Amino acid sequence: MSTALPWSTAFRIAWREMHASRAKFLFVIVAVAVGVGSLTGVRGFSRSFRRMLLRDARTLMAADLSARVFGVPTAEQQAVFDNLAARGVRRTWITETVTMASSAANPDPLLVSVKAVDPSAYPFYGEVQLSPPHALRDALNAQTVVVTDDLLLRLNVKAGDTLRIGGQDFRIAGVIVSEPDRMTGTLNVGPRVMITREGLDRTGLISLGSRASERFLFRLPATGTPSAVEVRHILKSALPEATIADYTETHPIITRGLDRSTTFLSLIGLIALVIGAMGVGSAMHSHLQQRLDSIAVMKCVGGRSGQVIRIYTVQTLLLGLGGGLLGVVLGTAVSAVFPSLLAQYFTIPATAVVDAWPALQGVAIACLVTLLFTLPPLLGIRAIRPAKIFRRDMEPEVTARHRRWFSSETRPALLAGAAILIGTGLVAATLTDGGLRLALRTGMYFTLALAAGVAALSAAAWLLLRAVRLFLRHAPARLPSTLRQGIANLYRPGNQAQAAVVALGVGVMFTLAVFLIQNGLLAQIRTSAPPGTPNVFLLDIPGPARQAVAEVIRRQPGVEQAPDVTGAVAARITAVDGTPIDQLPLRDWGRRFLRTRSVTEMADKPADMQILSGAWWAAGDHTPQVAVTDEAAHILNLKAGSTVDWMIWNHAIRTRIAAIQRTESLRMAARFEFIFNPGQLDNLPAVYYGSARVRPAAVAPLQRVLYQQFPTVTVINMADVMQTVEGVVDRISMVVRFISAFTILAGAIMVASSVAGSRFRRMREVVILKTLGATRGRIAGIFSVEFLVLGAVAGLMGSLLASGFAALILKFLMEINPRFDLITTCVTMLLAALIAAAAGWAASFRILGRKPLEILREE
Amino acid sequence: MIQVRGLTKSIHTGTYRVDILKGIDLEIPRAQFAAIMGPSGSGKSTLLGLLAGLDSPTSGQIILDGEDITSLSEDRMAQLRGRKIGFVFQSYHLIPTLTAEENVLLPMELAGNDHGGRKRARELLDRVGLADRRGHYPVQLSGGEQQRVALARAFALQPPILLADEPTGNLDSATGQVVLDLMLALNREQGTTLVMVTHEESIAVCADRRIILRDGLVVSQ
Repeated sequence: MSTALPWSTAFRIAWREMHASRAKFLFVIVAVAVGVGSLTGVRGFSRSFRRMLLRDARTLMAADLSARVFGVPTAEQQAVFDNLAARGVRRTWITETVTMASSAANPDPLLVSVKAVDPSAYPFYGEVQLSPPHALRDALNAQTVVVTDDLLLRLNVKAGDTLRIGGQDFRIAGVIVSEPDRMTGTLNVGPRVMITREGLDRTGLISLGSRASERFLFRLPATGTPSAVEVRHILKSALPEATIADYTETHPIITRGLDRSTTFLSLIGLIALVIGAMGVGSAMHSHLQQRLDSIAVMKCVGGRSGQVIRIYTVQTLLLGLGGGLLGVVLGTAVSAVFPSLLAQYFTIPATAVVDAWPALQGVAIACLVTLLFTLPPLLGIRAIRPAKIFRRDMEPEVTARHRRWFSSETRPALLAGAAILIGTGLVAATLTDGGLRLALRTGMYFTLALAAGVAALSAAAWLLLRAVRLFLRHAPARLPSTLRQGIANLYRPGNQAQAAVVALGVGVMFTLAVFLIQNGLLAQIRTSAPPGTPNVFLLDIPGPARQAVAEVIRRQPGVEQAPDVTGAVAARITAVDGTPIDQLPLRDWGRRFLRTRSVTEMADKPADMQILSGAWWAAGDHTPQVAVTDEAAHILNLKAGSTVDWMIWNHAIRTRIAAIQRTESLRMAARFEFIFNPGQLDNLPAVYYGSARVRPAAVAPLQRVLYQQFPTVTVINMADVMQTVEGVVDRISMVVRFISAFTILAGAIMVASSVAGSRFRRMREVVILKTLGATRGRIAGIFSVEFLVLGAVAGLMGSLLASGFAALILKFLMEINPRFDLITTCVTMLLAALIAAAAGWAASFRILGRKPLEILREE
Repeated sequence: MIQVRGLTKSIHTGTYRVDILKGIDLEIPRAQFAAIMGPSGSGKSTLLGLLAGLDSPTSGQIILDGEDITSLSEDRMAQLRGRKIGFVFQSYHLIPTLTAEENVLLPMELAGNDHGGRKRARELLDRVGLADRRGHYPVQLSGGEQQRVALARAFALQPPILLADEPTGNLDSATGQVVLDLMLALNREQGTTLVMVTHEESIAVCADRRIILRDGLVVSQ
């Protein structure tokens, strides 16, 4: 006689059993599939959404990467470029400079910003729109330029006329309507003139030492290799002096929006995993619960625990595999359907293709999660005594109170619990994008949060049961008997109230956390790009004319937000905390602090400014103080209390850093890295800047009017760029809302199903109550009381935990200040109770209708 | 074949202690048919369960075929059951998700000698008169038929000992008689030692010996 059961036999027995009760097993498989499906669906959709956002973000740079260099590449650098080109990285060279242009109609030359591009390559993303509509490559050649509308106005020319730059004539081939990377350009003073490299060479403007900004734009191959990180690294070591940026850094709003929405979406992926796992766990639990008799019988006819465990492990894996495969199909369908649901708002390319890796990942996760959550009952098989079929209704011989916390009876449960936590943490880690450390950290936090949640919920459930017992002991005798029995049901032997509270509570916790984080995120997005964000900027407003300029703008049609005018003074930092500025290790864009910066002064803190550390000055405090942006503070290593020495118009002034601040909105004030308290900049020559919100179509007329009345004021039109930025932000909000709604729905379903899982346990009870003469209404009443109490407690605990976790996540992962919401907590508690009751009813409905004997006969 | 010495069994349910068996001494020789009788709650089923190693005694010894089973681990016990003991329950306890034939096949598979198992399962079903019902699931069978499948299952590994817990208790008398006759016939054919818990005088008269329990003690043998 062989000792071990061969896997093939285990498989055969497991398969046979599954085959025989297909309907029940189908239910388990579907439960697994729904979990895995929501996970892969959300992840798949997030991926295509992120791809779309990144595509928009790329448009703002017109490339994947840009390198701003200070000189013509050396031979070695050229070799690096060529090497990259051989690997499929495309490159184009952009030169920007400022020069004077004139026309026959207007002899006064005008300062223009010239941008030399290669129209056959530029832009890699987005499009330079021309009026009349033309492709850039058709319009631009060595003899032509394209210009912005304000140049036509100022030089009194029109398309087709001749423009004279650097002594050479160029025909104006078209008017630039939008230029995708306008925002990332450097020398944006004066109207734009776009020219070919041959044209620029013809002007002879670029010679050694001329003031030009050189940029290389790179487009990565669609295959994904080399990656942006790798190329960035290669460029960094080849061009140590260059400023290298990638498409995620085009705009602070986009950078933060992307960061936060990515964090949020991966969080949602994890939560979808737990919610799915809960579904799987409760399905498998009630499945094995029903198999207890079969297992006892198997043991009676000579099956050893190891053999039985092997059989059910095989079965679990088969179910996980089946559920996983179905789930991946489901998930793919879901991520294919999502985009069409959002089609009326914006288009996301649907990805109906099954990506091999995520699909494999999905199936593997399904098997692992199914196995993990089936561990407690699987390990419990050892404890099933064959005598069970003799003494079915007897209590376990030793009650929980006398049990040591780590005895042979509790060991399997504790081990299984630990395995579930660690396993889920690991799965969470594999789902995290980014490096190994980040993944492990995420996994660990996730595990800790789950463990803390489960522990708190168990404690709450324990307290509840004590409280219920106490309540019933002291409750008035004339308490309605339905109520009394319903409450008594909670601690009746065999009731899994504690487990149910934990399962329900975890569901509520995760679901509500999604809702709260979503709310915080959306509120943040709303304040960072509120309606009325300026999209037109005015430079060089003469001090005496600033009221008049503001008045002119206010009267113009299409102006949506009154102009905001701020004075600025040129100032230079000489030392930080006593260290001369030129001795600080400043790199790249950080080197800007070596030069003159524009600073301003303010008495009151703007409403949308967030103080990260320190405090805003009190009114009337005239000791020199500065509030600095967190980014500048980071580069210069400033803390509240640091000292900064300045040179302002030949005055040396020492200031104390009063506050580190962050302003995410696009106000004019947000453009100042240093804000002084009042009194420091009085009587110093100031330049005034302004900003306004204007409908894109109304910008050109506004420019015309301003030019006629205030010819020295420069107008920068960011309307089309802001449209892109706002579009991205809108989409982020939309998708965050949508995915949250989906997850919340899935969570509600899982909460319901964890209650429904107790269905089989209830059958006996229903039979006995009915036999004793209870009507269906009465039984439903008793159950309702039980479910409502369970749901309310789970809802309360779940909401409190969710508020805590959401606050932590918002604060530390997304840097958003959380707020506690009492109403949401109350509503959630109520909803959880109602969902629990409804699910309980739905699950018991069929049992209620059955004849007692029918069920007794099945026993 | 079966020796029982000073067997006791108590159950603790939190605050109470129930002494079900208070010291049983028994000896049942090979191929004997012993009927265990006694009023409800006298400990009949518990004794039978302990004999089968389905539960462990509080004290005392059970020796089956020369082997002391009281100190065996759960798994060794299961192995021993597969080898030496067949069991028939009052409520049949067939696995509902397996067909009649698969139920009979199961002990052979678990013991690892399912080579030719299907053939033997069919022979056994044929022997209990259910050759044409072998593909049916338990719910599709009547009580008597289910009990006959359970009999076939009990004999699958030709165990030297067959324990039966009121095997006809859930059947009408005619069907019960069929099952009983079959059990006795198989018992004789295979030379099995048969221990049966029963209430019915009509069955007890067929037994070689009666063991009567009352309040956890043997009052007459």
